[in-house]
Amino acid sequence: MARAKKNGDIEIKRKITVKELKKQWVLLAWSAALVIYGLIFYYSPLLGLVMAFKRYKIGTTLLDAFTAEWCGFEHFQFLFSKPLFWEALRNTVCMGVINLVTSFILAITFAILLNEIKISFIKKSIQTISYLPHFLSWVIVCSIIHQAFTSKGIVNVLLGAGTNLAYDVFCGIPFVNDWFLDNNILNKFPYLFWSDENWFWPIVAFTNLWKETGWNAIIYLAAITSIDPCLYEAASIDGAGRFGKMFHITLPGIRSTVVILLLMNVGWILNAGFEMAYLLDNETIRHFSTTIDIYSLEWAIKSMNYGRGTAIGLFKSLASVSLIVIANGIAKLFGEESLF
Amino acid sequence: MKKRTVVPVLLGLSALAIAATAGCTQKQEKYKTFTMFATMTGTEISDDNEVQQIIAEKTGVKVKESWLAGQDPAEAVGTMLASDTLTDYIDAGNAFPDLLEAKKLVAWDPYIEKYPNLKAMYTEAEWDGFRQADGKIYWANVFQNHKNAATTCTHNDEAFWIQARVLEWGGYPEVKTLDDYFNLIEKYIAANPTDKDGAKFIGYTCLCEGWKYYCIENAGQFLDGYPNDGSVIVDKSSGKPTIVDYNTTPTTKRYLKKLNEEYAKGIVDREFATQTEDEYIANLSSGHVLGMCDQYWNFQQINDTLKSHGRDLDGCNYIPLGLTIEKGMENRWHTYGDTVNVSSGVAVTTACKDPEAAFKFLSDVLDQEIHDLRFWGVKDVDYKVDENGKFYHTEEMRKNAADADYKRNHLCTYSYLPQWGGTSDDHINANFPTEQGSEFQLSLAEPVVNVFKAYGVDNYVQMIGSPEEPLGAWFPMWSYSNDLKPEMEGGMAWKEMGEVKHEWLPKLVTTDDFDGMWEDYMKAYEAVHPQEFLDVMQVELDRRIEAAAKYN
Amino acid sequence: MKNRVSAADILFYIFNGIFMTVFVIVTVYPVWNTLVLSFNEGSDAALGGIYLWPRVWSTKSIVSVVTKDGIITGTYISILRTVVGTTLSLVLNAILAFIVSRKKFLFRSQLSLFWVITMYVSAGLIPTLLIYKNLGMVNSFKVYVIPGAVSAFNMLVIRTFMQGIPESLEESAQLDGAGYVTIFLKIISPLCKPVYATMVLFAAVAQWNSWFDTMLYNRNNSNLTTLQYELIKYLNSVTSNQGGGQQQGGSLGNINTLTPITVRCAASVLTMLPIVCLYPFLQRYFVTGLTIGGVKE
Repeated sequence: MARAKKNGDIEIKRKITVKELKKQWVLLAWSAALVIYGLIFYYSPLLGLVMAFKRYKIGTTLLDAFTAEWCGFEHFQFLFSKPLFWEALRNTVCMGVINLVTSFILAITFAILLNEIKISFIKKSIQTISYLPHFLSWVIVCSIIHQAFTSKGIVNVLLGAGTNLAYDVFCGIPFVNDWFLDNNILNKFPYLFWSDENWFWPIVAFTNLWKETGWNAIIYLAAITSIDPCLYEAASIDGAGRFGKMFHITLPGIRSTVVILLLMNVGWILNAGFEMAYLLDNETIRHFSTTIDIYSLEWAIKSMNYGRGTAIGLFKSLASVSLIVIANGIAKLFGEESLF
Repeated sequence: MKKRTVVPVLLGLSALAIAATAGCTQKQEKYKTFTMFATMTGTEISDDNEVQQIIAEKTGVKVKESWLAGQDPAEAVGTMLASDTLTDYIDAGNAFPDLLEAKKLVAWDPYIEKYPNLKAMYTEAEWDGFRQADGKIYWANVFQNHKNAATTCTHNDEAFWIQARVLEWGGYPEVKTLDDYFNLIEKYIAANPTDKDGAKFIGYTCLCEGWKYYCIENAGQFLDGYPNDGSVIVDKSSGKPTIVDYNTTPTTKRYLKKLNEEYAKGIVDREFATQTEDEYIANLSSGHVLGMCDQYWNFQQINDTLKSHGRDLDGCNYIPLGLTIEKGMENRWHTYGDTVNVSSGVAVTTACKDPEAAFKFLSDVLDQEIHDLRFWGVKDVDYKVDENGKFYHTEEMRKNAADADYKRNHLCTYSYLPQWGGTSDDHINANFPTEQGSEFQLSLAEPVVNVFKAYGVDNYVQMIGSPEEPLGAWFPMWSYSNDLKPEMEGGMAWKEMGEVKHEWLPKLVTTDDFDGMWEDYMKAYEAVHPQEFLDVMQVELDRRIEAAAKYN
Repeated sequence: MKNRVSAADILFYIFNGIFMTVFVIVTVYPVWNTLVLSFNEGSDAALGGIYLWPRVWSTKSIVSVVTKDGIITGTYISILRTVVGTTLSLVLNAILAFIVSRKKFLFRSQLSLFWVITMYVSAGLIPTLLIYKNLGMVNSFKVYVIPGAVSAFNMLVIRTFMQGIPESLEESAQLDGAGYVTIFLKIISPLCKPVYATMVLFAAVAQWNSWFDTMLYNRNNSNLTTLQYELIKYLNSVTSNQGGGQQQGGSLGNINTLTPITVRCAASVLTMLPIVCLYPFLQRYFVTGLTIGGVKE
């Protein structure tokens, strides 16, 4: 049924008529109450966005933000004038995209594979274990990760032992021997991962996967449970194998959830990597580790420049909303689930 | 069914908790309770802390301290302002200008006149340093201020440190210059490649993380024989004190080049630039690091670990050395006397409902009796008094004083409220136990005592051997540059200088082509207009000299 | 046919087994390591090199966290906010999701957009504080449960789930004269159990773990501080690398307030426990596939 739904989902444009309004009064009343609530708690603080165009020092009422001196696009000009800003933007987008893609693929794969385990006890245990790291603070996770990639860390120990073992086994083969010696593989380890800027993004992606995969998979596991078991039975009768069922029933069954989550996460790309960049960076890789949020911390928050801070926030908000609108449009174009 | 069991359990828990909290809130009220916030991380003491209770009984006031948690200092103060949750007392650090602008501070002036204890904290000239644009005083720094005789055993500041065993192995040689220092470490490693547990020695390491990059950054000023003005050198040689940038001096270049050479030789830790502070502390605690440049307070915690593993007896404790770039120069790694930092301190906010009582308490905590309670503790419980009136600790008491739980439940130093260094009014005891000479000698491990004996000194300060001389009226200049914001004149240059140095200094140490990279570094450095910053500092220097001249 | 196990299946089981084993080992390690550290002696742990088993046993860190002041009040407030906040959040998000998943609803797209925007646009902390202050949120319990009750994320996830429920169910109910309230409570909600369970978990975790709001609004009221805030304060006395203004400051009287790494770990372990215990209760809604009763589309 999950598959069948999509194709029949033709948006019916309804005219707003009194009759229709009357029919839906319950829904309308509920939504009106919720909109009022939203206006008060979510939208009214947005008035503060005016600070992006003001020379605002700290005040004690929101009125102070409106009475402060206008400065036009000064804050934006300042932000865009710094080369570091563009580096930060590049780093954030790249880390965001890498994290987004890897975390989706792994979480979905994990959920589907876990679903294939038929022994309930094992399945439950694995799931419980898998989401535990989500509750560890970034400080702890990052300190473990940092340790693991130092010269004496587990990664270098394993790689060092691994290459030596591989050499011992294969050194009899001439071209392998040459390859090892030409590239000086045996002396490569311990490798100083933290001084190599090329390694920062992959490590961030790995850390993110490590901490969040199990947690992210929860939502897919919930979605999988909504798939009608009859579909699997029917497929079995049609002679579908295990992979056939995974690809033709399970995946399509969670497709709308995947699409919705993907759309929502696209909007959060610019938030990527703050904790990790904050906790894992060092001077030698700064040009590849600074993110927009770090930039904002450095140039707005630490110096209490609220105007500039709001300007960065506004920039991020606009960028996120544009991303969402584009992604949503694409999703609609392909007849997929959309956010609005 | 499970739902049906969960709910009653939760309700039961809640009821218990309500009962517990109701029980808690009933008591006290006998005392006035003030709140305090400091833009520093710290440990909260427990609500039923014993010494706090005694102080409350004597003064009628309790202060509930809170510290920075998960926020930048400026952000913390900003959010407190916006949400109207300011505490009664505050140490806002670099965010004081904002509190001032929002008119949230209570002026000290009438109370300074009223309470002799407060007035005595500073001289007229020093108080003037705290005055703001409107001529009033809103905060007073509480640190580095001594009364009666000055005491100095520990060197709490920066130095090049070396393990006691290296000095011992070398036969306690003269180590006066940077070259001597690295020569000794090189020779030691050549003779002893590994520690007794088989681990390789790290000859020298250097923390570069965040603001602690001072470990690599400011040695140049000291090696030239200048004291820690922090951001600049103040050169007095031409008569009129002038600001000099130490970042570009030949000495700084030589120092970095030396590090670069030692890095190439494998003496400097390969991972010095990428280590985190935790890893740095772990390395030092392991005893495998022979030397580094750091401020004592930043690493003193390792002494406990060394001791608990018996490494202190192996001579793993660090000895400070007052190095200079050339032989025969005087060093000023240690400065005697007080350093008045006018840029921060303790303030009373307008959120305080009873400023009268708040200031009275600031005065009360300076009374010798209360002061002894704060820093020494309770007589016969935390310290004993011998027949000459001298305070001392038993082994048990010393252990307690180092125990985090004991400190939290029993001791209450109110560490960000006014305090005195130096000597007690009884002229016998030091105001801080760490400065008590007799106590200090007892706390030293044998190898350290041997080092002191061999060099004919009594303590760390003498070990460094900086000349005792009065400081310039402007000292320290960092109290001005610390508060420079990018919006202020010279502030942008100051911030960007920091960024350039952060990026380039580690690179200079690890590069294969030092001279080439130094030129690139200088280009990048000049590109952020350091002169703008130096000009501002010169103006401030002149202003401070002029302000001080009034009282001479 | 059902009982035949093909070679591909065996291969799959082997692959899956290896994958899961690696996965479990890798994910359990940080948690295990944290647990181990919290039972190690503090100054010894500063040396590093503790991986799978404590080197020097000590329960001091755990005890020092448990006996900290404010833990009892904090736990009570945390439980209260988790229960109240989660309930409120589930109810509001479910209602909202129900509304926007009705195909006939006139403003469904607009209403979705209204809430989607709240996920991405914010004016920052200060304006929010200034507004909430005027709404009487400072120094109150309600700030924990009211402002963040609607989460567009949770709402959209529920909506997606509800959209998967055949419309014919609603239509036949309407023919029987059921109003929207009945449809929501009697027809849609029972089918949404798995997604509700997920949302309860998400909301409860968010409530249980949040401490920033406590710090912003209830900093000075020790009767309203939450467990997480108490623990975060404690944690922060451990991780003091934030540093502040005293960079060149040299001798500070009492900067050495560091407590060992082990306390950081002990506090983490203690906060994880309750929420970890919650999950098995919710898990049972996940395990079996739901059959949507006899309706074919």
